[in-house]
Amino acid sequence: VSTSSQLSLEVRREGASAVVSARGDIDLSTLAKAAAALDGARAGARSLVLDLREVGFMDTSGLRLIIEEQRRAAATGYRFAVIPGSPRVQRLFEIAGLAGDDGLFLDAPPHSDGGGGG
Amino acid sequence: MSARPEHDRLTMLASIDEITDANVLLGETVARLLEYVVPAFADVATLDTISPTGELTRVGSRVQGPGREHLERGLLQRRPVAEAPVGLPRALASGQGQLIERMAEEHLRAIAADQADYELLRALELRSMVDVPLLARGRIVGALACGVGPSGRDYGPADLRFAEVLSARLALALDNAGLSAAVSGLEQRFEATLTNLAEAVLVRDARGPLVFANDAAARLLGLPSSEDVLAMTSEQLMALYDVFDEHGHEISLDGLPSARAARGESAAPLLVRNVIRTTGEERWLLHKATPVFDSRGVLSMVISVIEDLTDVKRAELAQRLLAEAGQALSSSLEYEQALKRVAKLLVPGLADCCCVALRGDHGGLQLVALVHADEEKQEPSVSVAEELAARLGERGETAAVIAHRRALVVPHVDEALLARAGLDGELLERLRELRLGSLIVVPLAAPGQPPIGVLTVAMAESGRRFDEVDVALVQELGHRAAIAVESARLYRERSLIASTLQRSLLPPALPEIPHFRLAGAYQAAGEQNDVGGDFYDAFEVPGGWMVLVGDVAGRGAEAAALTSLSRYTLRTAGRLLGDPIAAFEQLNDALRERDGLSLVSVCCVLLRAEGEPARAEVVLAGHPPAYRVRSGTPTPVGVFAPFLGAYERGGWEAVTIDLAAGDQLVLYTDGVIDAVGEEERFGEERLVTTLSEGQGASDTVARIERAVGEFALGPQVDDMAIIVVERTGRG
Repeated sequence: VSTSSQLSLEVRREGASAVVSARGDIDLSTLAKAAAALDGARAGARSLVLDLREVGFMDTSGLRLIIEEQRRAAATGYRFAVIPGSPRVQRLFEIAGLAGDDGLFLDAPPHSDGGGGG
Repeated sequence: MSARPEHDRLTMLASIDEITDANVLLGETVARLLEYVVPAFADVATLDTISPTGELTRVGSRVQGPGREHLERGLLQRRPVAEAPVGLPRALASGQGQLIERMAEEHLRAIAADQADYELLRALELRSMVDVPLLARGRIVGALACGVGPSGRDYGPADLRFAEVLSARLALALDNAGLSAAVSGLEQRFEATLTNLAEAVLVRDARGPLVFANDAAARLLGLPSSEDVLAMTSEQLMALYDVFDEHGHEISLDGLPSARAARGESAAPLLVRNVIRTTGEERWLLHKATPVFDSRGVLSMVISVIEDLTDVKRAELAQRLLAEAGQALSSSLEYEQALKRVAKLLVPGLADCCCVALRGDHGGLQLVALVHADEEKQEPSVSVAEELAARLGERGETAAVIAHRRALVVPHVDEALLARAGLDGELLERLRELRLGSLIVVPLAAPGQPPIGVLTVAMAESGRRFDEVDVALVQELGHRAAIAVESARLYRERSLIASTLQRSLLPPALPEIPHFRLAGAYQAAGEQNDVGGDFYDAFEVPGGWMVLVGDVAGRGAEAAALTSLSRYTLRTAGRLLGDPIAAFEQLNDALRERDGLSLVSVCCVLLRAEGEPARAEVVLAGHPPAYRVRSGTPTPVGVFAPFLGAYERGGWEAVTIDLAAGDQLVLYTDGVIDAVGEEERFGEERLVTTLSEGQGASDTVARIERAVGEFALGPQVDDMAIIVVERTGRG
């Protein structure tokens, strides 16, 4: 279908921590792909980070994925955090009453490409 | 010191052990302990306790010989000098017993705090001293100081060792006394607390009799006071009730957790349905029992706490019944089959007998389903019901149920009622033999349609009685069944494809609410197989109306099941409890009981029936805001809070707004704002612009549909539900 959303995912590992960077839309049509990337990254990781900075759109299915991960992390004892995305994506967290969840969000690490001074 | 016979010392230790075992108070223990030490082992002895914070308290002193009282008082008031390098302070600091075989002037000076203290110590005429710390449970709980002099004895290393043995026993005795002092204080507070506790508490002695019952226990057991409970044996008490477990198996006294605990068996909490034999009153009670053992590990009593889960259990039962009935009714277009399944669902959980009769084409009623809990009564019931249906269909009280669309509630079937029915001898006799107790007859009526029949539930052997909650539930079932039957008939007539019909059944017809106008739209996304999870509903609750839209994350069969559960749970809980947050809590619990993560977002509005301007409470759970549109200006309403099903506690908050004539309140699911366009999503800004142009409920709904339709590109991935509530004002 022409309206199918696009999503690409990149998994980086450093020791026992894994970072999944998403680029594109996380919605019903790309959900399975995002879930698979998290499943792969989670294996053997003591800390799992989902980077939403390059996500243009996310709907409640994306939130469901994140709440599920949060729950799994609490149950099995690894750390899970999210690098906040655009105001539009963050609006969704706000609607879900998660904007004030300090344990969920991670400050963005400095860009490895050295962009932006500050 | 001359060696005393060893058995004297053993006797002393044994005596101390006796004190340890007897539960006596601290002061008494100390006095008795010192009696054993002086004069048998010492001429002078003092006992100190140390609090967990390290505070030293002198609790006793004993002196043998002349000037005893004066010296004892002096010693009792004395505070050991903490930094003294010898004696008691040293014993406490090092945790080791200290022996001073021969007291010298320098020792006295080192121990004494001042001149007066020095005089006091000198007056004791000490020759030798031992000071030992008292160790219990791995910490120093006190100290024992012993001295000899006037009796001519001396202490040596062997005496120090004995003092250490002695100190261990003393420590235990002291620790025990301290504990039992704490416990007896507790007991008094305990009893005061229990008496006023909301939970029912019963305490049974190990030998069997009840020794305590609080007022809540009496209330729960249907007795006037706790004295009445205590006046009975467990067997007498048990004889007042019929007790069943969740599966309907009878539970005897021996099977209750308290009896199991008394026998030393594991006593897991047990949920029982408790029916008071004389009144038929039914309660769901959770029995929990805890055995209490004394210091020797012997069972001393069993404490039972009985929790009344009637409301919870019935709400749960009602929800389950409605959800299951909904499934049964929508699973088959053969409505006779569906009605039989519904009747089966209600027996025996809700009633002992259930029957459904539909109006025939030529008047009269025709029995289509009957289920009796007792198999032997099934056939006789069917034959009686068939005759009754045929005869009473168009007259009598059953006819009134149909004519006035009103439930008939008979708390107890009696001769007067049977007489009014005007039955002849033979049928009357067969009816009597069915021993019907309580009875509810409700019309099967879809909104705006003439009733199509009646649904009857009855109690027989179980002796239970119906109450208002049951009536509301049965009415709702009648309502649903009627809609399903109507739909099925419609389907037969028009032979539409089944899937389309089921789809069209999803959103309910919006009710008419006085002084409000409602308009709604529902668009399912994608293919038939991808039935999504949006839903909306509007129904009357105590004191007003509840209007809601919701969205289930996910799609397909799983999402459809979740949608059904959510809608029915919110509807049932909403109607019973009349409060959005309470309804949210019910659904939250129900969702959390499911395997995996089930998330539902809901925007719920409670419209108050009274008041001008009208008032509305808006509560959000994982949902974007509602909008109030006043004079063309939309304002978001609601406090953002978590999805239902996400966390144990949600923190949902109600926002109260007023709705003046002409105001609109717009509820929508995220299918609206998430609609995919050529470059971006529809978004909240476009929605706000669209809302500002809406002229009344229907127009606003149409505008949203049109705006999204024009914006959207290709088939959409998400469902979309919209409800607009417009205040039309009074008169």
